Amino acid sequence: MTHASLHPPRLLKSWGDEAVVFDASSCNTHYLKPLALMLYQTCRDHPGYTSTDLGVADSPRIHDLTAETLTNLRKVGLLESA
Amino acid sequence: MKLLQLPRAELRRQLAGAGVWLRTGPFSLKVQSRIPSVAESLAKLYGQFEVRSVHEAFADFHVSVNPPANLRRWLRPQVNFSFDGVKPFKPLPLVQAYPMLEQGLNWCVSAHAHQYLVVHAAGVEKNGRAAILVAPPGFGTSTLVAGLVLSGWRLLSDELTLIDCKTGWIHPLPRPVRLKNESIALIRSFSPDAFLNRTSRDTAKGTVAYLRPPKESVRRQHEPAQPGWIIFPKWVADGEPQLLPRSKQQSFQFLTQHAFNTSRLGAEGFRVCSELIQQADCYDFQYSRLDEAVAVFDHLATSAATSKAVN
Repeated sequence: MTHASLHPPRLLKSWGDEAVVFDASSCNTHYLKPLALMLYQTCRDHPGYTSTDLGVADSPRIHDLTAETLTNLRKVGLLESA
Repeated sequence: MKLLQLPRAELRRQLAGAGVWLRTGPFSLKVQSRIPSVAESLAKLYGQFEVRSVHEAFADFHVSVNPPANLRRWLRPQVNFSFDGVKPFKPLPLVQAYPMLEQGLNWCVSAHAHQYLVVHAAGVEKNGRAAILVAPPGFGTSTLVAGLVLSGWRLLSDELTLIDCKTGWIHPLPRPVRLKNESIALIRSFSPDAFLNRTSRDTAKGTVAYLRPPKESVRRQHEPAQPGWIIFPKWVADGEPQLLPRSKQQSFQFLTQHAFNTSRLGAEGFRVCSELIQQADCYDFQYSRLDEAVAVFDHLATSAATSKAVN
């Protein structure tokens, strides 16, 4: 399970299907490509979702890509493992 | 009173004594130096800037460039930059005194002026819209800025773009434009009437010279400009000029990477950057010839002015 860290606050600005997000805890700004943005927003809006909930378990390629993106989002501190 | 109205001997006397008070954009400086080449460059490059009595006016930054008190005053002579009595940099050879003053002034602004989002970028303005030019060193930004301001664009800044956190507008800081290596001859050939000071060799950036800011840019140095474009220029050896739209996300990332104080400003810095990117058109720009580059910028400014008139 993965959810977006609740605190400290983040600021998100999107243009089309990409975005930049400011993390107040690190004072870093991250550039989110479409998949990363979609996953970040989904996890933020639905804390506790699993990869099955995310609907990516059926395709190995998409599953791997999603797993890699989630790992990257956790690495930069935008998501936390539950 | 303008600095050029001070007789040269009086300028040298004041500079070597209590210092000279100067207004550059939103900042006031008190500059002190006993080095003749510093006095000479200040007289030639800052002639149009306002000066006041150093004893009567408040100064944001108190700086000096002087030889050290030790043997290096005479033996392979060096120079120190000092800010409020503190020396933030290692000494440099005496012949680099003036470039050291300019670099020191840049440091004063980037390290202290947190009422602005300070971006390592140049700024020019025409027809009421400003172009912010952001690129890594060596991409031809200062050359392009020099070409533009010698072709009628207003100089907002060469090294540091100051974005007002409240209004999002750009505050001018029209100090001399630093040109490096081949750019010096290029600008001399582009505009034979342009004034460049004496070159300094063997600096960290190679040979450098400074272009005097246009009189009109200095006269309008308290007039902020509305951002119109964020442009990422790159000089290439051969090729037609190309102006291609750049994604706002990538522009945002690049801009924040080149800002000095986004971490310090935190969420406010993010907001200022977001609003700036939102209102500006973002482009990658590649050019080889300066006159062609100026023509592209002129077209951009004319199109914007026409569109504004229609709307």
